[in-house]
Amino acid sequence: MPPADTGGGEQPHKAHRQSKSGAKARKKKGKGKGDEAGGDQKNPKAFAFKSAVKAKRLQSRAAEIEQRRLHVPIMDRSIGEPPPFVVVVQGPPQVGKSLLIKCLVKRYTKQNLSEVCGPITVVSGKSRRVQFLECPNDINGMIDAAKIADLALLLIDGSYGFEMDTFEFLNIMQVHGFPRVMGVLTHIDNFKDPKKLRKTKQRLKHRFWAEIKEGAKLFYMSGLDNGKYNKRDVNNLARFISVMKPVPLSWRMAHPYLLVDRFEDVHITGAGDFSLSGVTGLADPCPLPSAAKKRGLRDKEKLFYAPMSGLGDLLYDKDAVYININDHLVQFSKNDDNDAPKKQGKGNDVGVALVKNLQNTRYSVDEKLEQSFINFFGRRPAAQSMESNVEDNVISASQQDKKDANLRNTGTMESNGHSECSSDSEEDNDDDTQINDRDVDLREEVEFHNGRLRRRAVSTNFEDVDEEVTDEDEDEDEDEDDSNKEDSGDGQFSGGSVSSDDSGEANDSDGESENASKWKESLLARTLSSRSANLMQLVYGQQSSKLEGMVSKDNSGETDSSDEEFFVPKGQKKQAKNELPSFDDIDAEDCSKFIKADQRDWSNEQLINSIRDRFVTGNWSKAALRGKELNENGEEDEEIYGDFEDLETGELKEEMEIRKQLNISELNELDEDTRVEIEGFRTGTYVRLEVRDVPFELVEHFDPRHPILVGGIGLGEDNTGYMQVPFRITATGWIQEFNNSARIVKKIKLTGEPCKIFKKTALIKGMFTSALEVARFEGAAIRTAAKIEPGDMLKRKGENIEGIARCTFEDKILMSDIVFLRAWVNVDVPTYCNLVTTALQPREQAWQGMRTTAELRRAHNIPIPHNKDSVYKPIERKPRKFNPLEIPAKLQHLLPFKSKPKDTPKQKKVPIEKRVPVVMDPIERRKHAALQQLMLLKHEKARKKRVKEEKKKKAYEAEKAKTELLTKKRQREERRERYREEDKRQKRARR
Amino acid sequence: MGREKARRLSGSRHFRQRLVLATLTCSPVTIEDIRSGDAAPGLRPHEVSLLRLLDKISDHHSIDLNETGTKLRYKPGVIIGGKNLEHDCGVHRGIGYFLEPLILLGLFARAPISIRLKGITNDTKDPSVDTFRMSTLHMLKHFGVPIEGLELKIDSRGSPPLGGGEVFLQATHWIEEGMVKRIRGVSFSTRVSAQIEHRIIYAARGIFNRFIPDVHIFTDHRSGPTGGKSAGYGVSLVAETTTGCLLSIDATVSYPNVDEINDDSERPELMSPEDLGVQAASMLLEEVAQGGVVDSTHQGLLFILCALCPPDVTKVRVGQLTPHAIETLRNIRDFLDVKFIIKPDPNSNTVTLKCMGAGVKNLARKIS
Repeated sequence: MPPADTGGGEQPHKAHRQSKSGAKARKKKGKGKGDEAGGDQKNPKAFAFKSAVKAKRLQSRAAEIEQRRLHVPIMDRSIGEPPPFVVVVQGPPQVGKSLLIKCLVKRYTKQNLSEVCGPITVVSGKSRRVQFLECPNDINGMIDAAKIADLALLLIDGSYGFEMDTFEFLNIMQVHGFPRVMGVLTHIDNFKDPKKLRKTKQRLKHRFWAEIKEGAKLFYMSGLDNGKYNKRDVNNLARFISVMKPVPLSWRMAHPYLLVDRFEDVHITGAGDFSLSGVTGLADPCPLPSAAKKRGLRDKEKLFYAPMSGLGDLLYDKDAVYININDHLVQFSKNDDNDAPKKQGKGNDVGVALVKNLQNTRYSVDEKLEQSFINFFGRRPAAQSMESNVEDNVISASQQDKKDANLRNTGTMESNGHSECSSDSEEDNDDDTQINDRDVDLREEVEFHNGRLRRRAVSTNFEDVDEEVTDEDEDEDEDEDDSNKEDSGDGQFSGGSVSSDDSGEANDSDGESENASKWKESLLARTLSSRSANLMQLVYGQQSSKLEGMVSKDNSGETDSSDEEFFVPKGQKKQAKNELPSFDDIDAEDCSKFIKADQRDWSNEQLINSIRDRFVTGNWSKAALRGKELNENGEEDEEIYGDFEDLETGELKEEMEIRKQLNISELNELDEDTRVEIEGFRTGTYVRLEVRDVPFELVEHFDPRHPILVGGIGLGEDNTGYMQVPFRITATGWIQEFNNSARIVKKIKLTGEPCKIFKKTALIKGMFTSALEVARFEGAAIRTAAKIEPGDMLKRKGENIEGIARCTFEDKILMSDIVFLRAWVNVDVPTYCNLVTTALQPREQAWQGMRTTAELRRAHNIPIPHNKDSVYKPIERKPRKFNPLEIPAKLQHLLPFKSKPKDTPKQKKVPIEKRVPVVMDPIERRKHAALQQLMLLKHEKARKKRVKEEKKKKAYEAEKAKTELLTKKRQREERRERYREEDKRQKRARR
Repeated sequence: MGREKARRLSGSRHFRQRLVLATLTCSPVTIEDIRSGDAAPGLRPHEVSLLRLLDKISDHHSIDLNETGTKLRYKPGVIIGGKNLEHDCGVHRGIGYFLEPLILLGLFARAPISIRLKGITNDTKDPSVDTFRMSTLHMLKHFGVPIEGLELKIDSRGSPPLGGGEVFLQATHWIEEGMVKRIRGVSFSTRVSAQIEHRIIYAARGIFNRFIPDVHIFTDHRSGPTGGKSAGYGVSLVAETTTGCLLSIDATVSYPNVDEINDDSERPELMSPEDLGVQAASMLLEEVAQGGVVDSTHQGLLFILCALCPPDVTKVRVGQLTPHAIETLRNIRDFLDVKFIIKPDPNSNTVTLKCMGAGVKNLARKIS
């Protein structure tokens, strides 16, 4: 099936031909007739607007849909071959993920896959590759998978419903830019009742829509045939996948988990951050077919690459070839040569031959290995001279071997999803080797890897290996070459001659210097050969360490060639002339202005004529000629530059397209190596990454089912800082602001009380403990509890008691006032960075970053520290006592009478001296006594009566209580009886 | 794990660029052996002043200097920016020395920078403030920086404030030099006779008259408190081409700097205004003869701007590469990992540079 998304716009499509006979034609005919003949539809008004409101509503709905479709265009900077379309298959366990991948692979390549292990790349169309990846069922695996997915197939068990895994994965994807998502419903053949099936489908579909968007595609896998999914279903699904276009996600552009160029430090998820020691492009193991004009793919082109699933047999790397033959398929004993495996192509025969050749060697594997170790030992110094920055210790050599061998093929990384983490390539072989040579000298490393035996054969001059290999071959006398090339000038080095030159050199090289880290030198060599090399080399030199020497040397060599003279940095010439700070003076004055030492006399007619045409008064045509020369290089630059301003205001999208085209045209001018140097590897390149000093656990606990990603660290990403997230910090929080220093402050109130009060100032004690503290808070705002408005100044006062401050207030404060100072204290958050190292431990083991304080306390049996001051205590407040207001006599004197304090306070009792004495005569006294007695009698009577009444009342109350108790008892009995009856009646009724 | 943390550099050269690039790439640097062999080792006052300025506009950074000042450890933070900042640039270097890095940092600040710099406006080593106003700020326009956001006002010869902006850079293709259509300039004089300026202008015009009639040089005579504290005069000239390129130079005459004056030595004889005019005009013509879209002073700044652009191809044309520009290219390579394709154009004796921007983003800004 031809891919629907190829952008081959030029090819005219075949015109549509209407069928003139058959069922379809008849159907169409009848339909048309009905319309014409009938003239009136059954319900002509059904499709016209009847109400203005409805029309308006529909209009606004259409507008809304239109608006929703609009988005800010994102510039797609990927140039060149598209990387494989990564399809992540995710779902809860036992939902059928592996089966789906197997079926899809079978559909694309017609090959049966025994197990799904690691990424699988297939060529699905003329310009399309699809890479399948099974998402592991743990959070780290999900995060990794979400980073690289172009399309996520969410498998859902229809018989069970949604599981949390799906939602977790959706959530993770949202954070990672949200790639395209398609649901696949499996296990729906378990339903016997078609209605129930339909309902379930609908329910799940709507739930799925709620999560993603209205109308998101949910695919139904109707059932199994012979343990595989229905062929028709798989076909349809494959079609859906092939028409799916990858969305340019801005997250992807900002987070180079796919494209590692230019980033020195890499981050291997689950292992930590590393420096990259080398990046090289490799031939794609699963290339796109040639762009010949034809429909569809031939079977031969339906390539298939699954390095970890035990399928690819022979693998070429930069410096080694891996032969990979399952043990049960072939036996390598000398006699049964005819027992060749069936499933092998051309390349395999070579591989088998190599292995067979191994049997002719005289030494055993162990001996070989040992020898290689010695070789390795001996060769080290030579290599080290080339890579001075790499510290390799010999002790770890064997370990490194292992690392190296094992790490091959581990990765699903980079732009195209597969590339290798190979830690080193130190195995060098001294001998010349030819493939078909009888005395081929190969070393073999045997290792048990991923449940099968792998043999790694290492040879140095393996001609078939790769162009890259030969390119890399540059020997030690690099400098000599360089100087040769420089001397010969740039004219000699046309682009064409370069490659042949290089390869020629490589062929006759004695094969002793094949070292991965020499890519730099070789790059440099290529740079040299390009046209613009001279000037670039002047600027960039070979390596920073050699820089100064190089420049000066070149300069002296090249000043006599007339062409180059102009482009010699002026500093050089000047240096000779007038002893200014030399070029390699590390303490040179930092000055951007460049003053020419010698001043030419511009009144000279000759000089004037030389720049006459640079002025508008000069010859315009000549000036145009000057610009023209440049335009030949940069094609349509000028018009683009002219349009520039208009475009900015106008179509953003168009501008982006123009910019992209411009980039492509500019970059295509350059030769391949320079381009790589400038731009980095393009998306879709198959690259090899070298990472050194990787912990061996990464290899030991390597599980091909878990993807290993390598990501670049963007600018500023490796700095510790604080992030502001809108909600709790989880795996899905998005960052609002990145701050290197968020101010986290805590409120603190310092309280004090006045010890001496002046008019508007007061001395406050108890707030500070030292004069230094007072000085720190000079000028701070303070308040009092009694709402006397803020005083503003705090001055220290040199008293004998430390920490007494003089404060100014708006008004006079009271001695009883509490003065407090509100301040903010910075809270230091301890910074701690702990990388998630799940890849360095068995995958099934749960990773623990660190123990919580509580866990630590529990483990060490440490009690929770108890701070007495932190305990809440009841607040005791004494009632305030106000002293009477005292008005000074002077002030009193001045006050008006109304406001004057009236100092005759009212007294309750007349004092004894002011009372009038009463003296009674005897008659009066008797009368008084009689009256008193009578009153006494009256009171006594009343008291007796009251006592009697009380007694009576008490008796009555007791009686009443008694009867009440009885009544209550009776009532309760009655009630119970009634309920029982009712209950019985109810029971009877129910029956 | 296996990563080197801080870049190790040595020597005091390109101090500004190193600091600026380190700040923009958020990578810590350690500079060692700063004039360690010199009689007066360590950082100079103007360099310390620059560090102070950095300290003012950024946050959460750390600057460690050893006792002798020969070793500096700088861990950049976030450029905060802000209003009403003030910085005393001292009298050792001109304000141009501080403006060059400040302009770059201002583009990547969280908030627009508005700062009042006090110091020498014109001196012989650094581009003058007039040059900045007339040419440098306009250069930024080509990278998509709105000119409205940038402002430089000279309050008095001595203290110009700068208004900074925050922007998105965009890649540019800037190779058309065009032809010189007019020459503008400003001459200044402080604490000398106003007549001197006319003498400068007269001399300069004498040379320009052979080429182009459209020459206007304005005078800016300062006296009294706005004229600073010492006498001097100078001129900055800008040649504007038909394609909007601005080539600028400036020349100043003043008494030597404070640290160079010895008590017993007499004040040296100054260059006459006529000679200065001729010199300035010759310098400008020299720049015109060299070609390129910017003058030699601005090459370094131009390259840094190119390298900071988003990952699109930027193409610029300059005249002869100055040593400063070459060192800038190397620094860019070291810090930003951006290499330029440098192609000489023998026809016009110019150099075309192409690069793929590093796509540096303003991380400090708050995402709305």
